[in-house]
Amino acid sequence: MTLSVLMPVFALMTSLLASVVLFALPEKGHRLRTIINLAAAILKIALVGVMIWGVAQGREYEAAFTMVPGVEFVLRADALSMLFAGLSALLWLLTTIYAVGYLEDSPNRSRFFGFFSLCVASTMGIALAGNLFTFFLFYEMLTLSTYPLVVHRGTTKALRAGRNYIIYTLTGGAVLLFAIAWLHGLVGDLRFQEGGYFSDIDPSMQGPLTIIFVLMIVGLGVKAALVPFHGWLPQAMVAPAPVSALLHAVAVVKAGAFGIIRVVFEIYGLEAAKDMGLLAGLSVVAAFTIIYGSTRALYQVDLKRRLAFSTVSQVSYIVLGLCLFGPVGVAGGLVHLVHQGIMKITLFFCAGNYAETLGVHRIDELDGAGKRMPGTSVAFTLGAFGMIGAPPLAGFITKWTMGSGALAVGMDWVVAVLVISSLLNAAYFLPILHRLWFAEQCEPWPHERRWGRLETSAWLLWPPLITAALMLVAGLIANLPFSPLSWAELIVAREVAL
Amino acid sequence: MTLWLMAGLLFTPLAWAVLTLLLDFSKGRVVTWLGILVQVLVSLGLWAAVASDGGFLYLLGGWQAPLGIELRVDGLAVTFVLLTALVAAACGWHASIYLDPGKPWHRYFWPLFWFLWAGLNAVWLGGDLFNLYVGLELISLAAVGLVALGGQADALRAAIRYLMAALLGSLAYLLGVALIYGQFGTLSLAGVTELINSGDVQSGLTFPLILMLLGLALKTALFPMHGWLPPAHGIAKSPVSALLSALVVKASFYIAARLWLDLGGDLGGYALAQLIGVLGSLAVIWGSWLAFRQAKLKQVVAYSSVAQIGYLFLLFPLTWGVTDAISQQAQQGITLQVVSHALAKAAMFLAAGNLIMSVGSNRVDALAGVSRFLPFSLFSFGLAGVSLMGLPPTGGFAAKWLLLQASLASGQWWWLGVLLAGGLLSAAYVFRVYRASFIEATDTDQFYHPSRSLEVIPMILALMSLGLGLVAEPVLSVMSLPFEGASQ
Amino acid sequence: MFASNLLLLLVIILPLASLLLALRPDWQQAYRYCLPLLPLPALLAGLTLGPDASLELPGLLLGGRWGLDELRQVFLVLTATLWLVAGVFAVGYLKVHYLRRFCVFWALTLAGNLGLVMAQDIASFYSFFALMTFAGYGLVVHEGTGEANHAGRVYLTMAVVGEMAILSGLLMAAQQAGSGLLADLPAAVAEADRRWLIMLLLLSGFGVKAGLPLLHFWLPLAHPVAPTPASAVLSGAMIKAGLLGWLVTLPFGEVSLPGWGNALVILGAVGSLGGAVLGVRQRRPKTVLAYSSISQMGLMTLMVGAALANTEYAGPLFAVMALYVLHHGLAKGSLFLSTAMALPAGRGGQWLLWLLIALPGLSLAGLPFTSGAASKLAMKELLKPGNFEFAMAPYLPMLMSAGAVATMLLVWRFLWVQRAAASVGSNPAFMCLGWGLATAGSLVLFWWLPWPGAVPNKAWLATMVHEAWSLFWPILAATVIAALAWRSVKQR
Repeated sequence: MTLSVLMPVFALMTSLLASVVLFALPEKGHRLRTIINLAAAILKIALVGVMIWGVAQGREYEAAFTMVPGVEFVLRADALSMLFAGLSALLWLLTTIYAVGYLEDSPNRSRFFGFFSLCVASTMGIALAGNLFTFFLFYEMLTLSTYPLVVHRGTTKALRAGRNYIIYTLTGGAVLLFAIAWLHGLVGDLRFQEGGYFSDIDPSMQGPLTIIFVLMIVGLGVKAALVPFHGWLPQAMVAPAPVSALLHAVAVVKAGAFGIIRVVFEIYGLEAAKDMGLLAGLSVVAAFTIIYGSTRALYQVDLKRRLAFSTVSQVSYIVLGLCLFGPVGVAGGLVHLVHQGIMKITLFFCAGNYAETLGVHRIDELDGAGKRMPGTSVAFTLGAFGMIGAPPLAGFITKWTMGSGALAVGMDWVVAVLVISSLLNAAYFLPILHRLWFAEQCEPWPHERRWGRLETSAWLLWPPLITAALMLVAGLIANLPFSPLSWAELIVAREVAL
Repeated sequence: MTLWLMAGLLFTPLAWAVLTLLLDFSKGRVVTWLGILVQVLVSLGLWAAVASDGGFLYLLGGWQAPLGIELRVDGLAVTFVLLTALVAAACGWHASIYLDPGKPWHRYFWPLFWFLWAGLNAVWLGGDLFNLYVGLELISLAAVGLVALGGQADALRAAIRYLMAALLGSLAYLLGVALIYGQFGTLSLAGVTELINSGDVQSGLTFPLILMLLGLALKTALFPMHGWLPPAHGIAKSPVSALLSALVVKASFYIAARLWLDLGGDLGGYALAQLIGVLGSLAVIWGSWLAFRQAKLKQVVAYSSVAQIGYLFLLFPLTWGVTDAISQQAQQGITLQVVSHALAKAAMFLAAGNLIMSVGSNRVDALAGVSRFLPFSLFSFGLAGVSLMGLPPTGGFAAKWLLLQASLASGQWWWLGVLLAGGLLSAAYVFRVYRASFIEATDTDQFYHPSRSLEVIPMILALMSLGLGLVAEPVLSVMSLPFEGASQ
Repeated sequence: MFASNLLLLLVIILPLASLLLALRPDWQQAYRYCLPLLPLPALLAGLTLGPDASLELPGLLLGGRWGLDELRQVFLVLTATLWLVAGVFAVGYLKVHYLRRFCVFWALTLAGNLGLVMAQDIASFYSFFALMTFAGYGLVVHEGTGEANHAGRVYLTMAVVGEMAILSGLLMAAQQAGSGLLADLPAAVAEADRRWLIMLLLLSGFGVKAGLPLLHFWLPLAHPVAPTPASAVLSGAMIKAGLLGWLVTLPFGEVSLPGWGNALVILGAVGSLGGAVLGVRQRRPKTVLAYSSISQMGLMTLMVGAALANTEYAGPLFAVMALYVLHHGLAKGSLFLSTAMALPAGRGGQWLLWLLIALPGLSLAGLPFTSGAASKLAMKELLKPGNFEFAMAPYLPMLMSAGAVATMLLVWRFLWVQRAAASVGSNPAFMCLGWGLATAGSLVLFWWLPWPGAVPNKAWLATMVHEAWSLFWPILAATVIAALAWRSVKQR
């Protein structure tokens, strides 16, 4: 048992064990619970940090054993998994801090934090999964551990959202399982491998492989909220804000997108997927989703709902990036995995702050909120501009890289999609910003709470400020090593090298 | 050593049964605790012996069949023995706290419990058709008695119905056995197989096989012969329901499977295999749907058993006329399904019992708010549900995965739909319960809190069912140990 | 080297660092007094650093490079000066109402405006451009009136569409160039297969900022509603950012494009004359000035067209354009600031004030011995019909004269409406100082500020005497027309 075997296991265990301990804690042990949560989160960041460093040096971390005859359980840290693991470790800490503040004085916290940690453990497992089977294992675990979080409030609306969520995701999971089992039957247990497996396949295999690909995209697309499988996402926003934040930024939608990345890169191989004509179809779906999500967002009056449709649109950037099959465009898609996460989590934190501090849920109630809550509003503004793709924020880096990549491979229409989407983003975010900063408050806040000197609880204020700063930094230092963009380029270099 | 183990397995339960018959509830409880400990240790010992040395045939008293009792101690059998020990121990422990000592008729729980256990062990280890029949009857009668322990008129009615079905099933089975005996002059399964292989097959032998399978299917509650099961399992006390669903129905299936694997290849046919598979599939779909529609919590769980049992019958089409590798895969899948369903369903019934006890009503709607005050039991229920849904990393998933692979490899892709749809349907009824418990209806804690042990037991079972998927490989490797070793 | 790098960094960092003053509400008064300090490093950099100062920031965005060249130096000096005087003016002008918010947007817009002048790589250029655009919105809608919000909405809509056009244009150009530096773009655009598309995108994208006809709608709405110091920088400095965008990205000097030249000259003429036609019908001083800006930008578009049409003259025309930018920026800044000045009570003081208000206006029209005359002469010298061969070339002198008449008419109109709007009272000292500096800059300092080195023939004074009539007759003509118009209005 060397350290290289144990590292991924430890990384997974930090949140898994934390979850078990949290379940066992009595409901009243708030302080202890917070300490355990934060300690586990910090420990995980450290572990992931060490692995990122090691992976950059070319070291391998892998743990594997046979689970069912013919199928292995593999945990492995490679460059791609570190992209996702790093994101989820970092945002777990921030979201935990936020959730501690958000759930102050609310019931069922033991249950909440237990499932919350479980959810992060699943995300970590998805990141570290070394083959499709292990991926699926954690993919379903994520579905289950998120359900109690979605219905946490126990209202009729929450329960309905939870039901839809479960129907969508479990059906998606079944389709995915079918595809995985079929693929397994055809070619056996496939570990994720840089460059994929199907670069020179038998023409007779092409038919089944195409169908399997479509099935996999359907199964993963449910979580990634590709149209027409996105229906659950806007409803799921009834969940408490930290859950929405996690759902939209790291956990669920990203799991789908990450799965698509794995399948395209490390099962099919970028070249093979392109040659089989699979990417062309996928790119059309992604482009449509981008435009559709933005258009729907335009018509939402509920802040979180608008953000949710925005997620539908933004996550498909990642998928669209993959379809650009050149190194630059793919890096753009990959980096958006991180960028979208940071940006969207910021926005959801802020939406939660408005709801929790002022009782504001609808956009037209936000008039003048910038004066009352400047810190939150600054973070929201940065997040919104990031989404629009305004430089020098993270979103711009994505857009620029993807645009360059698209032009490099002659898919000029993608630039048009990016532009239209940015325009739509501007159309639904800028009016909110206007209300925040330039509109006068007309009515008293629906349910205002005061926290002394600060605009809101410090637990709630700092996480969005930090993520907003991260978003700015991710854009500003995009060219330095270990920035998300550089890491994405490293991944692409390794994927293409083989 | 082996002698002691074998004797301990088969006869001590009978001894405990007789002993507890003479004692009142509380004393019986103490005796049972002791007995459980012994049984679990003995089962573990046998399992370890087989795991290290391989299986063997054991002739009780040294006589040859048909006069003597022949026992087949292979990997599969010891696995089921161990499973029985674990589940029965958990149920017995649970019952010892759960049952009200004040009710006079509860003292009969212990003897019935032990008779049941003895019968189960007899079936797992039995090597000839008649001994299997005896074991089966012992189980059926004990089970009927246990159902009747509920005490109310409903329970008696359900028990009578159960009894009728069981007797009818036994009759059909016995008829088949008689026909086989008439044909071959032996009751030993191994012997019959040998005779068939030697080429002495005569036409018309399919009929006794069908007859036996029919009887066993009735006892296993295969669709459309499942009518007796939900009332019986639903009305019984929770530990009893757990025992019935987890183990009792498996016994008859186990016999059917052994018959099929030994004789089906020659006596069965494609149409028969497919027909049974279709019935199983219908059970999965229809049972899940009914489970979804039930208003009472335990009825949900009971109908879920009907559905889950349906999966087991996919063994028949998936092992007929396929290569050994595929057949092996299917058998492994089914075995895992048996084990994981046993653990999960026992956990589910026990947890359901806790929930019902706590809210004071057996309706699903009454669960509102339970998630806040009884998270532990609910969580056990949920974990068990995960296994039933066949989601990873549970044993249910590993089983489903193997069955999927077997279906694909044998080209019988139509079972894929059943497997996937069944998973989704089971999710529907599990989440219905979950959903009800998440409703925030009441603000105050008005619930009766069951004792810690009652909550811990289902959790242990659920975790075992969950972990089974992770350790499926080593467990399966013991299960598939053959018994060609030296007969003793 | 280190000092120059530090100075270049400070140009951006100082305005951004000033945002810290916004953290506490009770610091807002201090912030107000800091506003004039913010552009000082930029002014210092523009005046002291040579045209080849540059700063590599490899980690920034996609690889950053900031620096100056001859063109940028002039733009930087103008931008810094205008922001400085407007900042001084703002200290006196601002009320406590949302003071902090105004200061924040002021600093951000300032940082964007200065940064885009210095940026030599695409990503930083676009970043600063966007920063200026979006932060500028805060200045436009600051007053919070319905009119301001409407203007802001139009501004933002058009600006965002413009940003997207710029983004796509830059993306395509950068892809063609395979480089992240602005300096590589013109050559790449010149050779691109889809040159027409890239040029169209960039022209229209920057054209929104530069007030190109049909893309100008936001301008007469937004400039008047903004607080006066903000109007001054909007019209004087920010509008020039669009022009700078054209100058650094379009294929000047690489390939002669007479077709584009013709189109731009026509557009410029339309802007120059059409702006005047619309402008004289306005009733508010700031709106008249805004149309005057459109008109003036039309003249610059005309030069851009000429430069595109003929590679040889691109370099000299750049210099002239820079000079023109400097002249127009200072004059327009001064004019805008003057709209908020209250008249002194005494008659003599009133006359003096009117003279000082009118002089920058006359300078715009090209009155001899003003900055306008210097720019116009340089422009005339280059745009001689013989120098160019494209279709519109023969009409250039005529268009320039017509432009001068139009400009003067607008100036008269401005003075007319300003007289009606002006009130009598006293002005805060900082407002007087700011306006005074602006006027002095336009009339006096202009001659000492660094001019682009390539401006042809600097014998200004002598030339001006020679050319006095050609400079003067448009003014006279416009005055006559104005007088006739005034009489006809009076008789009615």
